[in-house]
Amino acid sequence: MSWSDAGLLALRSLGRRGARSLLAGLGVALGTTLLVALLSIAGGADTRIVSQLSHGGPAAAIHVKNALPDPAGYDSDTLQTGAERDLTDDALTIIRTAPHVGSVVPVLATPALIVPCPGVEPGPDAPPACQRRTDVYFGTLVGADLRHVRDLPITVLAGRVPRVGSMNEVAVTQSYVERVHLSVDHPGQVLNSRIEIATPQLLPGNGPARFRGRWSLATVVGVVAQTVDDGDFLTSIQLTQAARQWALAGVDGRNFSRPTSPYSGAVVVADTLADVHAVRREIFDIGYANSAPEHLVASVQKYLHIVDIVLGGIGTVALAIAVLGVSNTLLAAVRERWREIGVLKALGAADGDIARWFLVEAGLLGVVGGLVGTAAGTAVTAVVAILVDRYLREQGLQGLDLGGLPMQIVIGAPIATVLLAVTAGLVPALRAARLPVREALGG
Amino acid sequence: MVRVRGLTHRYGEGAAAVTVLCGVDMEVQAGGYAAVTGVSGAGKSTLLSILGGLEAVQHGGVLVGDADVAALRGAELARFRRERVGFVFQDFGLLTMLTARENVEMALTLAGVPRRERRDRAMALLTEVGLAARAAHRPPKLSGGELQRVAIARALANRPAVLLADEPTGNLDEDSACRVMELLERLRSQRGCTLVVVTHNLELAARAQQVLRLSRGLLVRQ
Repeated sequence: MSWSDAGLLALRSLGRRGARSLLAGLGVALGTTLLVALLSIAGGADTRIVSQLSHGGPAAAIHVKNALPDPAGYDSDTLQTGAERDLTDDALTIIRTAPHVGSVVPVLATPALIVPCPGVEPGPDAPPACQRRTDVYFGTLVGADLRHVRDLPITVLAGRVPRVGSMNEVAVTQSYVERVHLSVDHPGQVLNSRIEIATPQLLPGNGPARFRGRWSLATVVGVVAQTVDDGDFLTSIQLTQAARQWALAGVDGRNFSRPTSPYSGAVVVADTLADVHAVRREIFDIGYANSAPEHLVASVQKYLHIVDIVLGGIGTVALAIAVLGVSNTLLAAVRERWREIGVLKALGAADGDIARWFLVEAGLLGVVGGLVGTAAGTAVTAVVAILVDRYLREQGLQGLDLGGLPMQIVIGAPIATVLLAVTAGLVPALRAARLPVREALGG
Repeated sequence: MVRVRGLTHRYGEGAAAVTVLCGVDMEVQAGGYAAVTGVSGAGKSTLLSILGGLEAVQHGGVLVGDADVAALRGAELARFRRERVGFVFQDFGLLTMLTARENVEMALTLAGVPRRERRDRAMALLTEVGLAARAAHRPPKLSGGELQRVAIARALANRPAVLLADEPTGNLDEDSACRVMELLERLRSQRGCTLVVVTHNLELAARAQQVLRLSRGLLVRQ
């Protein structure tokens, strides 16, 4: 009997006891659903939690500061700096060519006077961000090379990041949203409001320090959670570079010194999490202070791994129970088809033909259960992801995208289920195959 | 040709052993027609099972055609059952999830006949037993006589040299029984195969060329 003939016979056999076959298949599907959902959610959560630990950006991101390293900071996750040291393009090039460095994104932070809602009279008719008066204050603009925004520890909460090279767009952080008396639960309300920015230049002369501002208007295009550097505003690096040039055209004062470093820092992304430590060491050796939450990430990863094992174990047990159901169903089928097995043997069926019949039947239950279970597991994962994301946002926290289903689970789960089902079918198949023909015929 | 020499068969061991066949000698010529009769427990079905390779030969010799049944094991025995003998059971032995045609095809499937050929051959056999119109029906929709005719068609599917029928009319009314026996006899003579029928019914047995009577495992009349 060929495999296809065995398949047809198995299909007919399954169809004859439709309800029982359905229940057995459903058991396999439920086990697969649980396994797929648990593994996917656990895997997605791992990635995202580690990502969150590195503040929304790539988990392998390292913050480099324009300062000499403090030797005590080498084994620490927090930034510990020595004296200031200019971070130049040459230095960035050296870092960029170091082993295991994926990308280097320069950052330039600069102080600025911030005027929220310039020329807008507070009141109910004003835009949401301007309905209440907000005082002028000194803030910090954080300029970054936004061509590499994916490599930066930035999470967009509303709107978007400024366009590359834009001189009149900014993204604000949640602290600015609170400063203009809006709720961080609805960060989108601050979008499209305007701010006036004045970057300072110290004028020469004796007596009290006199500043001249470089005034520019900017539109708030996004709300971000960012830890590229300390500051309320994310802008293109061109905007902060222009501010630096403006400051350099002035003089140094007692409390205000002109910036000498072309960059205030950089975000260096290692090839993998495992490379972070080596890259940090390299940057230390080049002579710059840096930080990365590597120890925290490593600790959390250990705990997440344990959670993965527990969740995977629960799913595996569920699948094993379901597969035992297949075995039980087929054992019942062997008892029920005692006579039919005898007739087939009397017609000349070899032991292998009988075994094939039952193995294919087990495999069919595995295929159907595996495919349905994987599809259902995908759906469950999607629903859980939506609910978790919605809950986090309702709590005023940043949403959590659990990500899509990993391809290895999509492909591996049905294959594993079929293999397990066929394995479960081995005992019934062998019992059927080894049944003495005369005994099977009821002699 | 079927030849049996000194066939002895026991069930159980030690003190509980029961001898069902005791030194049976018999011979049925190729194309011949033999009926085996006897009361229940006389060993008729055991004899038929041994002839068909359903039960191992314990003592003695059994030749079916040129095949020494006692020497066959495993796959060879399965092949022997597939190619040399055809079985007809008292309770028909049809698979209820298959149609009449598919039941006939099953014997050809096991023999590895290509799908299209086995369909044609199954239909031809059903036509021969007068059931072409019932080919798509499953066993529960067929009468007892029809079921047995399907079983006969299936038994003949691989053109066996020997047809073994165990109480083929045991579950049939008199009219159906008569027609089934006529069919068996007609097909035997048309195909030239050897027919061995086990029956309680002495009237049916009397139609055979050769009547073998078993009593307590002994062949008492040939």
